[in-house]
Amino acid sequence: MSGGRVLPQSKEALLKSYRTRLRDDVKSMLENFEEIVKLAKGEHDTQLSRMTQCEQDTYEMHVRAANIVRAGESLMKLVSDIKQYLILNDFPSVNEAITQNSKLFRTKQAECDQKLMSLRDDMAADLYDLEEEYYNSINK
Amino acid sequence: MTAPMERISALDTIEKDIITCLHSAGQVFVELSKEKLSLKQAENHTQTFLKTLSAVENKLTEQINYLTQVSTGQPHEGSGYASQKVLQMAWHRLEHARSRVNELDRLKLKHAQGRTAGRSSSGGNGASTSTAIAPAT
Repeated sequence: MSGGRVLPQSKEALLKSYRTRLRDDVKSMLENFEEIVKLAKGEHDTQLSRMTQCEQDTYEMHVRAANIVRAGESLMKLVSDIKQYLILNDFPSVNEAITQNSKLFRTKQAECDQKLMSLRDDMAADLYDLEEEYYNSINK
Repeated sequence: MTAPMERISALDTIEKDIITCLHSAGQVFVELSKEKLSLKQAENHTQTFLKTLSAVENKLTEQINYLTQVSTGQPHEGSGYASQKVLQMAWHRLEHARSRVNELDRLKLKHAQGRTAGRSSSGGNGASTSTAIAPAT
């Protein structure tokens, strides 16, 4: 692949956004996971009462778990966007798919025509016998 | 498997890995929430989570790098319409030949039925004459 190729700005920005999204989502999943595990330790030296601290920790765990799920869903959306981009812009694959389909269709067409030609040959042979019978009979 | 489908199936695998990742994270928290927690189980699930997440990141980076290399920014103008049309015309030829052969078959049946009806009517007249003669002798 040529190193000097310059993509249009929109495509380059799109690919850059994919990298940014990937980096941010993975970072979000890791950080939130770490924080939940840290909260699970349950530190006892706080200024708040125990109940309040428990409530706060529970709420924070809920929010961080929701963040992990959101980051997971964002990754799924990223994969879907990459699939779409691949189908539209991956020229080697598109070329190969078109070539394969063309080859398949032309093979089928050749088979159809070959069958028709053999049918024609069989019917011509039968017609020869029928014509001979007809023109030699008294009932024509 | 063809090259286009290989890439799509690789992306399908990445999607499954993301789900595995989320599932492992959930398993870690379930394990930690138990009264009699098994540290070994929690560690295993954590390792699975970290390993899967790292694999997802690497694979997606590889896919994005590939797309950066192959995309040109121009729309693809290739088409398989010509060969599709050629096949469609061959199919039409086949259908036309089939309809003519069916017509020939129909004519043959009609002719055969006509001949059978003619024979059965002439054979019925002959049978009634011989019955009339027999009681006299």
